[in-house]
Amino acid sequence: MKLLDRKLLRDLNALKSQALAVALVMACGIAMMIMTRSLILSLETTRDAYYGQNRFAHVFVRLKRAPNAVRDQLAAIPGVAVVQTSIAMQVTLDVPGLVEPAVGLINSLPERGEAVLNRLYFRAGRLPLGRTTTGELAVSEAFADAHGLKPGNTLSAILNGTKQTFQLSGIALSPEFVFEAPPGAALPDNKTYGVFWMPYRELATAFQLYGAFNAVALTLAPGASEGAVIAAVDRVLAPYGGRGAYGRANHPSHRRVDDEIRVLQGLSIAFPLVFLSVAAFMTNSVMSRQIALQREQIAMLKACGFSNAQVGAHYFKFSLAIVVVGVALGVLAGVALGQRLVEMYHLFFRFPRLDFLLDTRVLIAAALVSALAAFAGVAGAVRRAVRLPPAEAMRPEAPASFRPALAERLGAARWFTPSLRMALRNIERRPVRSALTCLALALATAILIVPSSFRDGINYVIDFQWDIVQRQTVTLSLVEPGPARAIADFRQLPGVVLAEPFRFVPVELRAGPITRRLLLQGLPERGSLNRVIDAHSQQLALPARGIVISAKLADVLHVRPGDEVIAKVLEGEERELAVPVAGLAEDFAGTAAYMEMHALNRLLLEGDRINGAHLAVDSSRWDEFLRAVKATPRAGGVVIKNLIREGFRKTTAESIGLLQKMYMLFATIVAFGIIYNSARISLSERARELATLRVLGFTRGEVGAVLVGELVLLTLVALPLGLVIGSGFARAILTSVNTETVRLPLVLTAANYALAVLVVALASALSALLAARKLSEIDLVSALKALD
Amino acid sequence: MPAVPPSPVSAQGDTGVGREPVFRVRDLARIYGDGLATVTALRGVDLDLFPGELIVLLGASGSGKSTLLNQLGGLDSPTRGTLFYRGQDLGSADEAALTQFRRDAVGFVFQAYNLIPSLTARENVALITEICRDPMPPEEALELVGLGSRLDHFPAQLSGGEQQRVAIARAIAKRPAVLLCDEPTGALDVQTGITVLEAIERSNRELGTLAVIITHNAILADMADRVFTLSDGRIVNERTNAHRGSVRDLAW
Repeated sequence: MKLLDRKLLRDLNALKSQALAVALVMACGIAMMIMTRSLILSLETTRDAYYGQNRFAHVFVRLKRAPNAVRDQLAAIPGVAVVQTSIAMQVTLDVPGLVEPAVGLINSLPERGEAVLNRLYFRAGRLPLGRTTTGELAVSEAFADAHGLKPGNTLSAILNGTKQTFQLSGIALSPEFVFEAPPGAALPDNKTYGVFWMPYRELATAFQLYGAFNAVALTLAPGASEGAVIAAVDRVLAPYGGRGAYGRANHPSHRRVDDEIRVLQGLSIAFPLVFLSVAAFMTNSVMSRQIALQREQIAMLKACGFSNAQVGAHYFKFSLAIVVVGVALGVLAGVALGQRLVEMYHLFFRFPRLDFLLDTRVLIAAALVSALAAFAGVAGAVRRAVRLPPAEAMRPEAPASFRPALAERLGAARWFTPSLRMALRNIERRPVRSALTCLALALATAILIVPSSFRDGINYVIDFQWDIVQRQTVTLSLVEPGPARAIADFRQLPGVVLAEPFRFVPVELRAGPITRRLLLQGLPERGSLNRVIDAHSQQLALPARGIVISAKLADVLHVRPGDEVIAKVLEGEERELAVPVAGLAEDFAGTAAYMEMHALNRLLLEGDRINGAHLAVDSSRWDEFLRAVKATPRAGGVVIKNLIREGFRKTTAESIGLLQKMYMLFATIVAFGIIYNSARISLSERARELATLRVLGFTRGEVGAVLVGELVLLTLVALPLGLVIGSGFARAILTSVNTETVRLPLVLTAANYALAVLVVALASALSALLAARKLSEIDLVSALKALD
Repeated sequence: MPAVPPSPVSAQGDTGVGREPVFRVRDLARIYGDGLATVTALRGVDLDLFPGELIVLLGASGSGKSTLLNQLGGLDSPTRGTLFYRGQDLGSADEAALTQFRRDAVGFVFQAYNLIPSLTARENVALITEICRDPMPPEEALELVGLGSRLDHFPAQLSGGEQQRVAIARAIAKRPAVLLCDEPTGALDVQTGITVLEAIERSNRELGTLAVIITHNAILADMADRVFTLSDGRIVNERTNAHRGSVRDLAW
């Protein structure tokens, strides 16, 4: 080993705690970058392979009913490669051990042979055998996991009014249901919503659909236009109650995976950059100090004939060592955290296998970026050092010159103690360094705001959705839209205190070139259960004319109240209606459109029809009510509010909790690292001054106060600044994840701010204490010695 | 090296008759390190120093004079022997007690001044007067050393002599019982050195402070009440001046 390298190792050893502090901050940035980019790679690779192997379709459509012969017409559409027709029906389930009824979506399997599209992947068991045995079902993995179901277990379902018992043949996954949530829900609810598959003949017979289908999936031929195919499919299916075909981009499961990838992409750039910039600044301050301390050594090396390049390389190697440690720690942490997050993704996304794939290209890029950042940080100091003529460098640096701080010049001097003056003047003498230290601390504070604002936003949504909007205990829907008098039957169920009818009509809303498909909800004008709420949390009365839509939907369609939208009805006889937008509703999951129920029925030229009712149920008669519902054949779907709410809360708490812990760790490391480093550098620069104070009779505590006074001031400025920056971060990230499927309001609470301030203040205080302990190592006697 | 044998010195017969000594030092030894690396810096010093005296410690580099000054100033503890300051045993005092001793009783003047660069002359003095019991106003202390007109200058704006006089003002502002000066003129030219020494002498005379000056400049011996010469960790000579010379009259 060259002697210069040996010197490097020994210098590194002497600086190990500071070098480690820098490496840790760098590791945070790299960990976050590797974690997010690798998760994106894992999700995309897994999804694409799964879609390919299991032949996920390109275009989907539901309809009321069409004879099997129509399949040939669909297959004949130019640009269509493969067509698969099937039946999909929503049913009420009776699961052993679950008091509440659950909702199942049963899909049919082809009568002969294997499915050509959307093939199942079996985790356990096998396909249900329709022809030899009756009463078999395959169940989705998410639902099976939630209930501990295994092949061979049984459960009951009400099929077209008849309760039947089925045996589970296997546990399956489908590319159509990677994200398995009830229609319109933002998060999975695997306890009360499941997907099933059964043989065509059995399902078709139960619903009197034999020889017909009500769902289509198809793939496009290479080069075919999706838009043209969708238009053709809609034309073919119009006479059969087609509800409008849509591509993958509008497929609920596919879209949810896409949204997740988009969020990760947002997180994978901004935050790592913050950490790497802070690390570059820290490298710069550590190396500048190291080079200042080694002025005479540099002069000696140069005097002895070492070239500028050799001396420069020596110090670059120093920062390279920090980068190597930082990258190594960052990769380890990134992989570990990524694996934890992959486990969490299993809660949301069901793939046959979701493995953590390390994105090696990003790894290399991250290492290069960190090395560049560190080199940029150290370049200036090295350049100054090698430029110095040896004779000049041999002399100690000229004493620092000071002047009264700005605040003193403005006349506030007499209130300042000497230690405060020292701190203020030191800050002012090194404005850039002070500003960067302050900024780094502010960023540490800022990143803490983000996960807490997620949590607060979600809590707000939970309260908003289920205390302000949906005040019903339960929602019952009919198998088919029925006459309004059905509400009387619901009112007679035991324990029902209040029942309000609703009408759901699938529509396509159009404004200019933009279209969206959704369920248009008909509700009473001013209901007490399911209410429509405006941006000021006030209930909106549904007008006799016009439609109320989600504010987000209005954004997407570029319409404002007073504008007209075209509603194309996708049920029964197809017709197009122009309706004015009468108001905007506030909501956070999916998008919705509402009309007063009678107005809606009038527009549809139908009599008073309903799809179901929202009910308020007396809790003392709850069990009795549930038994009655399970035995009611006409109830096709039951949604119990509190179950969804708890499911929602639990899943989000878990994922946000993990995120929050990660960010807290990162923020602590940054705050700790920056304060520790600043204090150590200050200690090194002012060792003589501090030792003098000790000799003059200052206690260790008093000298410690002088040492950290400057950092306390910077922290005091950084904390509020960090809260402002953090609120901006939260706003930016929430805006980037503000999609049509899920939105979070920006909720910034005092508790959120308090936690961020507390964490950074504690980390700062602890690291300052740790650095101040080095004060005991100061050699008092050395202060008496002359500067040589 | 003088051929005078080391003597257990007591000045009680001279200037200190009937008075309580400020420092009473007996058989004081300081040994650094152990094994082969042992360095004996002091090997048994006996000494009594009295209020109002001006003492000069002479000796070559490594003679032990700085080690002795550190012991007197409470910066270091003896390996052997006893060291009493007005009845307080400094040899066995802990860190906190030594800090308190320095704060209350000792004024230090360093060769390199050791001013706080971010504080003005006045503030450097005020820094100390704020933590002691009966200080004089910083302005008065600076007046005593002839710097009444440069109160608001920062160290970088002062000459070496001026900086050293600020350091002396800082040391005497607390009205210390002891003023310990380590080569106070070492970094200064003759003329500047004279003003600095005058400032030390004046505070010794006017405030009755025991002043101990370390130097290897033998000329300073004439301004002292007593002069001790150290060599190899021992006091090898003690001289009592019948008459203290004024600084300006020294044989520069």
